[in-house]
Amino acid sequence: MSEGIKRRDFLRVAGVTGAGAGLVGCSTEQVEKLIPYVTAPEEITPGVATWYSTVCGECSSGCGVWVKTREGRAIKLEGNPNHPISGGALCARGQSALQGLYDPDRLTSPMLRGADGHEPIPWEEAESLLLAGVRDAAPSVALVSRQAGPTLARLEAELMAGTGGQRIEYDAASEAPLREAARIVFGSNAIPTFDFPSAGIVFSFGADFLGSWISPVEHTRGFARASAAEEGGGKSPFVFIGPRLSLTGQNADEWVPVAPGAEALVALAIANVIAREGGDAGSYADLLQAYGPETVSAQVGLPVETIEDLAARFVADGPGLAVGPGIAAQGANATAANVAVLLLNAVGGAVGQTLRPGDGHLSAAASPAAGLAGVIDSMAGGEIQALILHNVNPAYTLPPGFGFSQALASVPFSVAITDRLDETAVQADLVLPDRHFLESWGDSNPRPGLWALQQPAMQPVPHFDSRAGGDILLGLAAGLGQDTGAADYQEYLRSAWSDVHAGLASEEPFETFWRGALRDGVVELPAEEVAAGELQAPDRAMSFDAPELEGDGLALIVYPSDRFGDGRSANRPWLQELADPVSKIAWHSWIEIHPETAAELGVSSGDVARVTSPNGEVEVPVWAYPGIRRDAAALAMGGGHTSFGRYADGRGANPMTLLPPALEQTSGGLVHLATRVTIEPTGEHRGLATIEGASDQRHRPIAPAVELEALLGGEIHEEEHAELYELQAVGGFVPVEAEEGIPEAYPLEGARYGEYDPEAAPRWAMAIDLDKCTGCSACITACQSENNVATVGEDQVRMGRDLAWIRLERFYETVDADIPGPVDIRFLPMLCQHCGNAPCEPVCPVYAAYHTPDGLNAQVYNRCVGTRYCANNCPYKVRVFNWFNFSEVPEPLNWQYNPDVTVRSGGVMEKCSFCVQRIRQAENRATLEGRSVEDGDVVPACQQGCPAQAIEFGNIRDPESRVAQLSASDRTYRVLDVLINTQPAVNYLRKVTLHAVEDIHV
Amino acid sequence: MSSTTLERGAQTHPDIPSYGKVNVDILRILSRPGKIWWLLFGLAVAGVGLLGYSWANQLISGIGLSGLNTPVSWGVYITSFVFWVGIAHSGTLISAILFLFRAKWRQSIYRAAEAMTVFAVMTAGLFPIIHLGRAWHAYWLFPYPNERLLWPNFRSPLVWDVFAVTTYFTVSSLFFLLGLIPDVAAARDQAERGSLRHRVYQLISFGWRGTDRQWHHFGKAYLYLAALATPLVLSVHSVVSWDFAMSIVPGWHATIFAPYFVAGAIFSGIAMVITLMVPIRKAFGLEAYLTTKHFDAMAKLCLVTGLIVSYAYINEFFMAWYSGEDPERQAFWNRLFGDYWWATWTMLTCNIMIPVLLWFKRVRHSIAALFVISIFVNIGMWFERFVIIVTSLSHEYMPFAWGNYRPSTTEMGIMVGSFAWFGMWFLLFVRLLPPVAIAEIKEVLPAPLRPRAGAEAAR
Repeated sequence: MSEGIKRRDFLRVAGVTGAGAGLVGCSTEQVEKLIPYVTAPEEITPGVATWYSTVCGECSSGCGVWVKTREGRAIKLEGNPNHPISGGALCARGQSALQGLYDPDRLTSPMLRGADGHEPIPWEEAESLLLAGVRDAAPSVALVSRQAGPTLARLEAELMAGTGGQRIEYDAASEAPLREAARIVFGSNAIPTFDFPSAGIVFSFGADFLGSWISPVEHTRGFARASAAEEGGGKSPFVFIGPRLSLTGQNADEWVPVAPGAEALVALAIANVIAREGGDAGSYADLLQAYGPETVSAQVGLPVETIEDLAARFVADGPGLAVGPGIAAQGANATAANVAVLLLNAVGGAVGQTLRPGDGHLSAAASPAAGLAGVIDSMAGGEIQALILHNVNPAYTLPPGFGFSQALASVPFSVAITDRLDETAVQADLVLPDRHFLESWGDSNPRPGLWALQQPAMQPVPHFDSRAGGDILLGLAAGLGQDTGAADYQEYLRSAWSDVHAGLASEEPFETFWRGALRDGVVELPAEEVAAGELQAPDRAMSFDAPELEGDGLALIVYPSDRFGDGRSANRPWLQELADPVSKIAWHSWIEIHPETAAELGVSSGDVARVTSPNGEVEVPVWAYPGIRRDAAALAMGGGHTSFGRYADGRGANPMTLLPPALEQTSGGLVHLATRVTIEPTGEHRGLATIEGASDQRHRPIAPAVELEALLGGEIHEEEHAELYELQAVGGFVPVEAEEGIPEAYPLEGARYGEYDPEAAPRWAMAIDLDKCTGCSACITACQSENNVATVGEDQVRMGRDLAWIRLERFYETVDADIPGPVDIRFLPMLCQHCGNAPCEPVCPVYAAYHTPDGLNAQVYNRCVGTRYCANNCPYKVRVFNWFNFSEVPEPLNWQYNPDVTVRSGGVMEKCSFCVQRIRQAENRATLEGRSVEDGDVVPACQQGCPAQAIEFGNIRDPESRVAQLSASDRTYRVLDVLINTQPAVNYLRKVTLHAVEDIHV
Repeated sequence: MSSTTLERGAQTHPDIPSYGKVNVDILRILSRPGKIWWLLFGLAVAGVGLLGYSWANQLISGIGLSGLNTPVSWGVYITSFVFWVGIAHSGTLISAILFLFRAKWRQSIYRAAEAMTVFAVMTAGLFPIIHLGRAWHAYWLFPYPNERLLWPNFRSPLVWDVFAVTTYFTVSSLFFLLGLIPDVAAARDQAERGSLRHRVYQLISFGWRGTDRQWHHFGKAYLYLAALATPLVLSVHSVVSWDFAMSIVPGWHATIFAPYFVAGAIFSGIAMVITLMVPIRKAFGLEAYLTTKHFDAMAKLCLVTGLIVSYAYINEFFMAWYSGEDPERQAFWNRLFGDYWWATWTMLTCNIMIPVLLWFKRVRHSIAALFVISIFVNIGMWFERFVIIVTSLSHEYMPFAWGNYRPSTTEMGIMVGSFAWFGMWFLLFVRLLPPVAIAEIKEVLPAPLRPRAGAEAAR
């Protein structure tokens, strides 16, 4: 999208201006109403989608999104291509925001705690209680909020300043140690940004930057660009250094499995070698002296050669980029570990090239938990009379040892502004229902000079009598007699944005600027002079040694879930049902241990184990994972809710209950890597709700790879290439020139398939670059949202009845948790291949599976009687069956359904349709505009959402189309086609490895 | 020729003294049933209730009440369908093919075997409907005229199935009813005039009086219908086998399937005839009609078809290995040593190892031993279909999509209920229609000639 906004894209979002204007001045009384069709607002045409730009509020990355609304309801989120963070893509969590909006467990009104739990009360009463409570308590007031947009943070700070209280930011997964390290090393109090596309080699010391770390969508896009093989070009190697292969680790080319907490030593040793070879370590030279590879080698059990080799390549393949260690490795030495990694970047020449300290990621959650710990002490000490908790859930996310719940009970007046009666709100005196980010105003400032407005994409969901947190706080400020200069939060936001407008120094009036900002969804201020990031002298002593862990047994790695983050998005069936990108398990937690460790402990996958730390115990099924060291166990955050909603409660285990109330000394961040756990079988076998059958492709033509050298040397069979090219040129229907009698010779020339006319119609096809695919699974949730794919629940997934149209297969080719070396884990997004010679079609007795004239493999739901023969005969196993009527969901979750796609009833087969509704829409639009469909007009939901930009879709008959050009690659192959001659429309491009791989004939 | 026939008949039924005794013995069965019959009938009706309850539940809640899932979307229902179609085979084989070949041991058993055929098809026909996701749309598989001009897909083996099974049901029912005419007339003549029974018999004996003319037409019709039914014996199960062989599922896609399935069907059908005949013989004192010679002949047929089936098993394994393709090899490896090894080894034990005993004459002549072996064969043949369907589907081309299947209680309820459904019809049959062909038995008995004067003297 570097060429700027396209004309059609402009038209798509142009409606925002009117809508923005329409919503200006909307008071809460007016927005309660549904849209009346008789006098419809100008921008709403029944049957035609209206798009709004806003900012995703799921995590702190600050991705710009477009919200698709139909008849006033938000039905789909897509990345805003103009926004530099999202770049047009969106992760699974972002896609699932709709289920947060329509979550049936949201609060329906303010609640006041009485003798028998919380009772609903009217807003007037709630607001006067809030006002009285805070006024009486002032100045002994505290407000705890999570990382918020700049304007909301300012309002909160002003409010607290006015009362004499304090405002504390708290996030369970916080990069406080990294921020502190950046301050120590570069003197910049911001999270640095990482330029993956420019990196020639990437080291991750445990950071899950593709899954959950800081800005996963942006990182995935950049990483895919850097590490994917270009035609005839290079490929940036990626080395993962850490105890457990996260999603990011699974994408590595090499894995250096080091013990948990030892990342700092390895980073220093590498930096030491680079410095020895002439790297500039500045004032850290003395410090590095102590960490020679020989010393560290003995400490961490890595060969000296490995360290020296990594150091040599970091410089030789440079510019290098080292990131980490991330949340999961936040031990008692977390700041030191971050310092070590930043130092490696500095010594290795990455600063200013791939790592930009000054151009910080401002919105990243980086507040130390120490702030909240201090508030808890004050609460327990009676120094806080009134506590406002805004969208935070410390009762769940904080290790219980901090005593938050006990301290909360001793606060005379506590208020939770949140959207549900979560674990914290359920203990609060007053609960005020907050609005979802798709219903409310806000802003974001993810990095210097980059601003975006969060505007309501729809009127508030009428089921929930909610008010925006900003409006509640403004009302409180007004009641307290503070002058905020605004009647409501939107006005407050506008006045705050006059500063942004001023920063732009443009001639255009504010109103024009404001409308433009709403429409584009992003404002970029002129770049400021960025400090280069000079190495500062270390201002404090730090220990880089691997931290001591309490207890005995296996080191427990507690990591943010790729799906739920710290647990805030757990009440969403889409995310619960989404198979975890690493484990492929849905709906419940699991404890990861090495298969041989499991055998020693006498447990196997699916056995329920009791995991005991000095701080608590949980019972959770075991998942044996070859990608974790033998001395470690890993448990994801986000499970084990007790009061969060019907889809989250009682599912899985909360690892925070195993952690001690420990804070990292230097930064005050929460220590995640703190304890060891013992694992013992309970004797119960529960079975895993997994979509994984076998992770071994058994040398079948499924996910082959090619070594980079072989690719560059043209060692991919020439005839294979020609054959594929022939097939693509004609759309995969008419056979290649081949000897008669061999499978490829069929169907014979002239054989007709349905009414398909290979001459006249387009041949819709897809190309998926497996070297880019990171397995993040965003495509699956995007598809689920676009195509009304139902969720089935834990028991049904365990039976193998999940309905996802895309199955992200994951194969372990080379994984060794004992010695450093190549790691090769392959991903294969498997969806309907829309075969030219489809085995599912002839077997359907009623023509429910048939070939459309434009070559799609269609499924006619209304005609399907449910013999399931097509599913048996589909070699790709992409057909899924509605065993029950899964589409019935509680109100208002059904508001999300895409009106362009049939909601399937029980007893019918379904599968990927290539987003046929989007194809038809593009064709209709083209017809209206009197032109033919152009390349890029049809973008299926999976391609649209893919952060790695691994998917291309289009008419492969058009040789100029991107899909045809991508498919012409030497790496192109088609799954199983050589075996069964299905002539699929999905072309896969092999993964490119840096080590020799088995040659699978495809 | 005729003298040979007479001699053979005298050999197979040496204990039947006269034509009249045949009428008495057989029509006696149509009397008022005893306690045991009522007990069995009650159990059968209860079982049908179980079937109805389970199916109704499934219709209301959804096909998800089965244990089926995404790789294994056919299971116990299709297993039972193929099993019952297989059972339905030997009836027509015995009545039509053996009739054409003039095998004289068929007379005593063919009536019951034909009845079994009709009821087995009635049972089998339930399953394709039960297994549908939307059973209420089952009629869409029939080529009925409609204003939307929608026709079924004639390329689909499931549509072939519809034709094969309905044709088979029609022809075997006709054949059954036609053969009944003279015997029902005999029953009619014995029944109390004006009773309901008499009137029904009157209706379905089509005014049979036993004239020469009627016998002449009857003989012709029977012969032609036998000739018409004969190819169906081969076609039905061939078509059923194509449900599998026409697919590309490793373990299903094999050219041997049609003969393999036909042999298997006869194997299981004969076993079922033995299973049914032994208790009937005992209960109604038909030892004179169903002699060890009959059972010996059935056991030999069982042995032959069992050997064909054994050959087919070995051939399948060999071809899987010989193909060199991993999906094929894996499918068969999985059969023997995978998660369903127990099903495969049950099949191999029941269908290959136990029938080896039939080589021994002593075993073939022991009614008790045959009864036990026949039950093993029935179990083995049910498992054969289970193994073919479930093990193949569970491990197909995409290893990541492999998955296992466990039948649910609903499926087991319907499966058990299907035996009750079959049993209910069969119990009604033995009490309401002559279960042994009176007229045909008489064909092979020595004619009641007046003893020659000299014969006495010569002795």
